[in-house]
Amino acid sequence: MEHIRLPKVENVKLLDRISHRRRRVGTLYLTATHTIFVESEAGVRNETWVLHSLVCSVDKLAATPSGCPLLIHCKNFQVLHFIISKEQECHDIHLSLQRLSQPESYDELYCFSYKPNVDEKERRQEWDFLDLKADYSRMGLPSSLWKLSPVNQHYKVSDTYPADLFVPESATPPVIVGSSKFRSRGRFPALSYYCKDNHAAICRSSQPLSGFSARCLEDEQMLEAILRSNPCSDFMYVVDTRPKLNAIANRAAGKGYENEDNYSNIKFQFVGIENIHVMRNSQQKMLEVCELRSPSMSDFLEGLESSGWLKHIKAVLDAGIFIAKAVAEEGVSVLIHCSDGWDRTSQVCSVACVLLDPYYRTLRGFMVLIEKDWVSFGHKFSHRCKHVVGDPKEVSPIIDQLLECVWQLMEQFPCAFEFNERFLITIHNHFYSCQFGNFIGNNQRERIELRVHERTHSLWSYLWANRTDYTNPLYRPNHSQTQGLLRASTSPYSFKFWKGLYNRFDHGMHPRQSVEDYLRAIQEETQQLEEQLSSHTQAIGVTEIAENLMLAIIKQCFGACYVAAE
Amino acid sequence: VFWTSFEFPIFIVVNEVNFVRKCISTENNQEGLWGKLICTNFKVSFIPQDTSPKQKSTLSHLLLGEHDIPLTCLEQVVTVNDTKGKKKVLGSNQKLKFNPTELILYCKDLRMIRFCFEEAGPESARKVCLAIAHYSHPADLQLLFGFEYQGRRYHESKGNERVNGSTPRGLQTPIFDRSSDWDREIKRTNASEWRVCSINQSYTVSSSLPEHIVVPSSLTDQDLMQYASSFTDRRIPMWCWSHSNGSALVRMASLTDPLQLKKTEQKIFAAITKSHPQRNEPFRSDLDKSLPSILDIQSAFVKLRQICILDPFEESEERWLSTIENSRWLEYVRAFLKHSAEMVYHLEGGNSSVILQEEEDRDLNCVVSALMQLMLDPRYRSLIGFQSLVQKEWVMAGHRFLDRCNHLKKNDKEESPLFLLFLDCVWQIMNQYPAAFEFTETYLTVLSDSMWIPLFSTFLFSSSKQRAQHLMDFAKHKAIPQGEDQVVYFPPVWEWSQQFSTKDQTLFNNPMYVGKGAACVQNGEVKTFKRKKAYSSTLRGTPTNLRNGVKGGEESLTRRSSLANELKSELTPVKDLSPSERFFKDWFSRPADLQGLLIPLLMPSHMAFWKLFFLRWVPEACISKGGPVTTYHKLSQLVDEIEILQSQLRQYKGTSPGNTPLTSSGGNPTDQRRMYFQASSPDDPSTPPECLTSSFPFTPTGNLSRRTVQGTPISKFLNGARIWLSTETLANDTV
Repeated sequence: MEHIRLPKVENVKLLDRISHRRRRVGTLYLTATHTIFVESEAGVRNETWVLHSLVCSVDKLAATPSGCPLLIHCKNFQVLHFIISKEQECHDIHLSLQRLSQPESYDELYCFSYKPNVDEKERRQEWDFLDLKADYSRMGLPSSLWKLSPVNQHYKVSDTYPADLFVPESATPPVIVGSSKFRSRGRFPALSYYCKDNHAAICRSSQPLSGFSARCLEDEQMLEAILRSNPCSDFMYVVDTRPKLNAIANRAAGKGYENEDNYSNIKFQFVGIENIHVMRNSQQKMLEVCELRSPSMSDFLEGLESSGWLKHIKAVLDAGIFIAKAVAEEGVSVLIHCSDGWDRTSQVCSVACVLLDPYYRTLRGFMVLIEKDWVSFGHKFSHRCKHVVGDPKEVSPIIDQLLECVWQLMEQFPCAFEFNERFLITIHNHFYSCQFGNFIGNNQRERIELRVHERTHSLWSYLWANRTDYTNPLYRPNHSQTQGLLRASTSPYSFKFWKGLYNRFDHGMHPRQSVEDYLRAIQEETQQLEEQLSSHTQAIGVTEIAENLMLAIIKQCFGACYVAAE
Repeated sequence: VFWTSFEFPIFIVVNEVNFVRKCISTENNQEGLWGKLICTNFKVSFIPQDTSPKQKSTLSHLLLGEHDIPLTCLEQVVTVNDTKGKKKVLGSNQKLKFNPTELILYCKDLRMIRFCFEEAGPESARKVCLAIAHYSHPADLQLLFGFEYQGRRYHESKGNERVNGSTPRGLQTPIFDRSSDWDREIKRTNASEWRVCSINQSYTVSSSLPEHIVVPSSLTDQDLMQYASSFTDRRIPMWCWSHSNGSALVRMASLTDPLQLKKTEQKIFAAITKSHPQRNEPFRSDLDKSLPSILDIQSAFVKLRQICILDPFEESEERWLSTIENSRWLEYVRAFLKHSAEMVYHLEGGNSSVILQEEEDRDLNCVVSALMQLMLDPRYRSLIGFQSLVQKEWVMAGHRFLDRCNHLKKNDKEESPLFLLFLDCVWQIMNQYPAAFEFTETYLTVLSDSMWIPLFSTFLFSSSKQRAQHLMDFAKHKAIPQGEDQVVYFPPVWEWSQQFSTKDQTLFNNPMYVGKGAACVQNGEVKTFKRKKAYSSTLRGTPTNLRNGVKGGEESLTRRSSLANELKSELTPVKDLSPSERFFKDWFSRPADLQGLLIPLLMPSHMAFWKLFFLRWVPEACISKGGPVTTYHKLSQLVDEIEILQSQLRQYKGTSPGNTPLTSSGGNPTDQRRMYFQASSPDDPSTPPECLTSSFPFTPTGNLSRRTVQGTPISKFLNGARIWLSTETLANDTV
């Protein structure tokens, strides 16, 4: 509370983003966790709440005759344009918000003060909801080819890796440790996904410290071991997700990429995804296009194109498709890395998994996927999402791109995913909100130190409890369309602008009607039908058995909707 | 030349060549398809040697095979000789100095087809190419195959169909060629101050107006005769539609007589004012000044076609959005929708009649008046209603289909895809309101394709008068008794049974459509469903119970704020908004009523690219097991099951002791299913057809992949010279 210079300002105007001539007048409150705008007109109490941790930037613009404008950009793409009549008040709000939105330590984060009405036992159960080991055993692991290695217990080998990792059966601790010394930040090759049908695996690591000529016997043995864990294949792919130029530049710093001559039976491939700085600038440019007040068709299309955002999404999807095809069609194992192996590598592993395995297209499966490839493998959430004050160059929308890749796939395959757009948008919101403990810190070790599991709540069980909101009524698990490898198109026509996310707060920007809304309406009609049926059967005097029979038919017919209702 | 009189319908085979290879885009088939290429007086046919069973999941045309192209559909015929490095765009009766090694056909429906002659006799290949080029440039409208075909059809079916008295489905569509059709519209829209006027009977006043038009009641025929001379082509202003508030939509050509201009205009305006219940002044909009011209639209379309179909795909990849923007097509689509929405505001919000003015009143006015009515009147969102709208605002209003389609390939400067632009606008609204239309995007696509099949009277002529004259000559020529309704011997495109089976026509039905007909039985009465809640955008992306966590977070407020906006606008009007801004704001703050006014959202991000139409033949854009059709498939099955259940309910109802059986249930539901994809029985779990792709019900497989034609840039061909010659010379050539 000590950061709040001014808890309440009256007579504040909130401008509409599309038309500045529309405005609402009310009172602005600052609390320890939220900025609250209460509209005082029209007799209806209308409140706008903004979590401080979602505030991305606060800008005070030059004063105008009508007052002093304060512009708040949020990480969930909400933009609030206030006009505060007195400059001093605006100044105080500005300073307070700047401080409140930039916590200096983890302990200030909202998740540590967020206390919903849940007892301690239930809170603990929240964290048991997802179990990564269960996912590995779903894949058929451990097996005669892959084993759970204790080598990284207490984060001794790599402090950004999880404690539990799967490695090839033939990889001995000395080989693993040797390999880790030859990889950036000790991130040695470890298993991400295993296809039990054909033994092909997706492994991930960071870049090798090969420089111009360095070699490491253990690292070569490690790759050999991965290859041998796929008895059906006589070679493996090594995919460097960076553009070739970036990888070459890294060689000068003693890093780089695998030399095909030094490793037996590898096929090396660059896929050219740009780095976090390019992605950050690209998203920034795209958001500027979103914020244009009355763009012409060419402002929009040319702005979108020159931002390059969809091109980057395509690059990630293309890389995912390459790997998914290698695994599903060629039966070849793949090792993926970028520089540190926590940004592009996570993206590409996840996209490949979504394309390959229908499980990751379910609600629970997608949560597991984020938990596996991102949370446990050490995507630096707190740096990338700027949970606490830090280097602005570390901030980048890498995880946004994963969600968008999945959304683009959902647009191409509307029946293949159990979850809906709202699910992705909600997850997006909570990557940044700091309301749940899941994404606090940059890796597993930090979360242990912060005692996140003891002190905070988990998003996953919250989402699961509210899954009716997040279920796609078109999804049916046993359909041939939902099974097997998704053959996505990455031709330029296949990419759309995701207004549901980037313009999600611009009301009047969204389709006024959707298939999903329609299905929800049908659901109501079904209920009416059912009520009628029961009244009819009573009137007609049909036996109870016949009634149940009819109900069963109706229920089956609306099966999709009932998935949502259960 | 011989007649294949043993089969019906009959075509004249002009020329044919064997051992032709058709290049197709399947990955595993490098060889292509081998078969016979035939040119008839109706179409270019290709008959493959191995007639592998056709997959019955795509639309099959009753008169056209999978590999057939109607001659009218040919945009350009290009012959190539690989070894000599020669290319020639063939017009009618041209000489070809080399033996072609391949033939490339560019089609108006955006297909691109390539045949290779390496194994064929060089002389017969040459003759076929020349024949195709010649027959695709008919010298006269009467030479279009439709005249031949419908004449035969009339005589062969004589005594069968009409004795039965069964009216084909298409004929439920009012044609607006008689005063009773107009009368019905006047009554339906309650336009009491308007009347049908028949002074143009036998086209004595204007050559482009229909025989019957609707005019203000206060104007006498004599007045109108007098005013007519002031207008382009003596086109008297014509009523289109009336709002329930009494405001009318009127279309009008420009005034040509400078002396009478002011006076006539005042009289006309006064009469329209008089026809308004509150005597409100009409609002006039000059479309020539506010919208792109027909030339702009044509050049946008040519560019877009270039991008979608012809440019090597790899080149446009990086610049897809800017090349699309560069064509300006989407911008024009948006401009027409936006202008129509603004005009709708004046009618509905401003409560004044609207006069659409355009030089000839035959192009832009057709688009805008039809779009306005589509937004305003749910009737036109039904299938029959939409067809009557096209009939009224396009066909009868005298849109020059013959010139705009360039069927005779005589004048390229007159060619302009206005009707396609209109269909794209309709698709945009449909894309935003998927449950508001009875028909599907497949219907719109098939309708646009029908422009290139010259068997129907709808898209062949430039005016009613022209149609009447041609059909009279035709009837005389074919010995059809006078007084016979032309719909019988030369039907409109609306008679879909001529093109498609009943089953295939169900692809036109939108499973989500809840029209006025959607009824269900409750307590012995037929009751239309009323939605308890209206679902609108505010429900999307905003989980209801997120506030659990976020302490009443911003998520939960969106609905309240929209409610507040609504209340506010009623209680205290916001002063600084313009009236039209306030109108749109109010409208968008309420849930959309699909049986009422519909206004599309028009931010650039709402303008979508009509993939089914533009990219259905492009293999690279085809998503297997994906695309909107997967949703359509699932919803169709769902609706089919509902309909079965409803009919079962009706049967229960009918047999119940306390009630009289209902007679309205339309027979056995399994015979006449409304949905293309039918519900599966519980023992037979539904497996969607494997070939369900984003191009469904079309398939890119029979067409050329662009990758294989790199190095044959079409741009050169598209501007190739077209030379016109008479028919006779070719006859010598072919016999």
